[in-house]
Amino acid sequence: MARKNGIPPQLVRLVLVTLAIIALYFTARYFMTPETFGQFGFYRGASLNEHATRPLSFAGKESCRNCHEEALQLVSQFEHKTLSCETCHGPAMSHVIDPETPLVKIEDGSCLRCHRSDPSRPSWLAQISLDDHYESDSCTDCHTPHQPNE
Amino acid sequence: MMSAYEIPATDVLPQVEGYIYPNELNLLWGDLIVLYPYITGLVAGAFILASLVRVFKVKALEPTYRLALLTSLAFLLAAPLPLLFHLGHPERSLQVMITPHLSSPMAIFGFVYAWYLMAVLLLELWFDYRKDFVLWSRYTTGPKRWLYLIFTLGVTDISEESLKYDARLCNIVTIIGIPSAFLLHGYVGFIFGSVKANPWWGNVLMPIIFIFSAIVSGIALCLFLFMIISQARRLKMDMDCLDVTAKFLFYTLIIAAAIESLDWIHRLYEAEESIHIIKTLATGKLFVSIVVIQAFLGSAVPLVLLGLIQIFKKDIAARAREWIYFLSSVLILIGVLAMRWNVVIGGQLFSKSLRGFTTYKMELAMASHEGFTMSFALVLLILPFVILWVFLKLFMPVEEPGPKGEPLTRAETSA
Ligand code: HEC
Ligand code: HEC
Ligand code: HEC
Ligand code: HEC
Repeated sequence: MARKNGIPPQLVRLVLVTLAIIALYFTARYFMTPETFGQFGFYRGASLNEHATRPLSFAGKESCRNCHEEALQLVSQFEHKTLSCETCHGPAMSHVIDPETPLVKIEDGSCLRCHRSDPSRPSWLAQISLDDHYESDSCTDCHTPHQPNE
Repeated sequence: MMSAYEIPATDVLPQVEGYIYPNELNLLWGDLIVLYPYITGLVAGAFILASLVRVFKVKALEPTYRLALLTSLAFLLAAPLPLLFHLGHPERSLQVMITPHLSSPMAIFGFVYAWYLMAVLLLELWFDYRKDFVLWSRYTTGPKRWLYLIFTLGVTDISEESLKYDARLCNIVTIIGIPSAFLLHGYVGFIFGSVKANPWWGNVLMPIIFIFSAIVSGIALCLFLFMIISQARRLKMDMDCLDVTAKFLFYTLIIAAAIESLDWIHRLYEAEESIHIIKTLATGKLFVSIVVIQAFLGSAVPLVLLGLIQIFKKDIAARAREWIYFLSSVLILIGVLAMRWNVVIGGQLFSKSLRGFTTYKMELAMASHEGFTMSFALVLLILPFVILWVFLKLFMPVEEPGPKGEPLTRAETSA
C-alpha cells in the first residue's frame, strides 16, 4: 500500500492540512494586525493620536477665569462651588475659542437633573419634590444659580 | 438623546415594578443571547450521544451515530451567529481572533470553538467518512463528485489496514472530544456563572447545570430527528435504538433535574439576601416559563413518562412508546429552551437593588436594532435545521451511490 515509512497517508495529509491552517492563521495575523498594535500596550498605538486630534467639547473651569473671574469667584463661595461651570452651561470649548458662540439656554430641567427627589441620591444633596415646591415659571425666578440660597 | 428626567413617568412605569436603577430599564442581552447557549448545548449534547457509540460502544445506538455527528456539526456552524448578530458588527469578531487577549472570554471562546470544530468534529467525521468519500467520489458525477473528491483530501487509500487505522484515530479523537464538548458548553455556563454581581447567575454550579441540560437537550434532539427522518424516509422504526436512546435520555434527565433541584434547594436553604427577589421572580413574572414549562412540562412530565417506560417496557406497545418518546423529546427541547430563557432573561429582570423588576419586551419590528436582531433569532433557530437537511442530502443519502447501500446505518464503527 501507499504507506511510506510506516506512516499512514491520511495522517500525513492531516498533518499537512493542520500546518496549512496554522500557517494561514499566522499569515492572517501578520497582515491583519494593525500596524501600531502593541506599541504602548494591548491596543493600537495610533489610536492615541486619533483620539487626541478629535475636537474637544469641554474646556474646564480654569479656562473661564480669563474672562469671567467674577463669576468664578462668586460660585466658589456658595453651595455650587464643587460644580463645574459646564455642568450647567453645557460644553463650552467653542465658546472659549470664540466668545460669540452662545451657550445653551439653561432651563428648569438642568436644576432638576440633580435636585429632583430620588431615593437613589445621597441624602446630603438637597432634594425637592416638584409637587410641593414653590410654583413659578422658572427656578431662577427665586434662586440665583451662582448663589443658590440667596 | 433624552435624558432620564425627560422621559415622562407614564412611559416608563408600566414596564417597571418596585424600585430599579435607571440603567436596568432595558435588557442588554435579548433573545439572541438566549439562543446562543441553547444551540451550543445541542452541539455538545449530540456529540455526547455519538461518543456513546464510539467510545462506550453502545451497539444499539449505532443508527444514530452519523446523524448525531452531523446534527452536532450543523448546530455548531450556527452557534456563533447569534453572538455575531447581537454585537451588530460581525466583522469585528476577526479582530478578537487576530489579537486575542487572555482575559477576554470572547477571544478564548473563539479558540475553544475553532478547536472543537476542527480538531474534534470535522476530524471525527473525516475519519468516519473517509471510506465513503472515496467510494462516493467513484460512483457519482458532476459537482457532487468534485465535492466528495475534495473531502477525501486526496487520500484514496481504503485498504483494510488503513481503515483500521482510521477507526483507531477516530477513537482517540472522540476521547479528546468528550472533554472538549464539556469545555465548549461548560464555558458557556462559566460566562454566566462568573458574573458574581448577579445572584441569579453567579454560581459555581452554573457550568455543570449547563452541561447536563445540554446533554439532555442534545440527546432529545437526536431522538426527535431520528424519528422524523425515519418517518420521512419511510424506514422501519428501529425500536431497539429508540429504546436505548430514550434510556440514556432518561438517565441524563435524572442527573440534570437533580443538579438543578439541588441548586434551588441550596439557594432556598442558604436564603441569601437575594432569595426574596428570586422567589418573587420565579413565582411571579417567570412562573409560566420556569414552573410550568421548564420544571413541569420540560422535566417532570418527561421524567415520569420515560421512567414508566423503563419499568413497564414490556407492557407498552411499540407504537405507544414511539409516541411517548416523541412527545418527551419535544417537551424536553422546549423545556431546555425555557431554561436558557429563564437564565438569560430572568437574570436581567430584577434590579441590583433587589427591590424591583423591569420587563422584557420582544419586538419583531425591523425598526429598532433589537427588533431587527429579534427577527434574526427566528431565522437562526431554523438555520441549523436547513444546514442539517443539506448535510443529510449529501452525507446520508437515501440511496447511497455505488453497489451496496444501507441508509441510516453505518458499516463499521469499532473495527
Ligand atoms: C475669551 C474670553 C472668554 C472665555 C475664556 C469664556 N467666556 Fe464666556 N463670555 C465671554 C464674552 C465676551 C461673553 C459675552 C458675549 C455676548 O454677550 O455675546 C461671554 C458670555 C458668557 C455667558 C453668558 C451668555 C449669555 O447668553 O448671556 C456665559 C454663561 C458664559 N460666557 C460662560 C462661560 C463659561 C462657563 C466659560 C468657561 C468654560 C467661559 N464663558 C469662558 C468671554 C469668554
Ligand atoms: C448651578 C448651575 C450653574 C453653575 C454651576 C454655573 N452657572 Fe453660570 N449661570 C447659571 C444660570 C442659571 C445663569 C443665568 C442664566 C439666565 O439667567 O438665563 C448663569 C449665568 C452666568 C453668566 C451670565 C452673567 C451672570 O454672571 O449672570 C456667566 C458669565 C456665567 N453664568 C458663568 C459661569 C461660570 C464661569 C461658572 C463656573 C465657575 C458658572 N457660571 C457656573 C447657572 C450656573
Ligand atoms: C450638577 C448638579 C447640580 C445642578 C445642575 C444644580 N445643583 Fe444645586 N446643588 C448641587 C450641589 C452638589 C449642592 C450642594 C449640596 C447641597 O447643599 O445640597 C447644591 C446646592 C443647591 C442649593 C442649596 C441647598 C441647601 O442645602 O441649602 C440650592 C437652593 C440649589 N442647589 C439650587 C439649584 C438650582 C436653582 C439649580 C439650577 C439653576 C441647581 N441647583 C442646579 C448640585 C447641583
Ligand atoms: C417661588 C420661589 C421659588 C421657586 C420658583 C423655586 N424655589 Fe426652590 N426654594 C425657594 C425657597 C424660599 C427655598 C428655601 C426654603 C425652603 O426650603 O422651602 C427653596 C429651597 C430650595 C432647595 C433647597 C431645599 C432644601 O431642602 O434645603 C432646592 C434644592 C431648591 N429650592 C431647588 C429649586 C428648583 C430646582 C426649582 C425649580 C424647579 C426651585 N427651587 C424653584 C423658593 C423657590
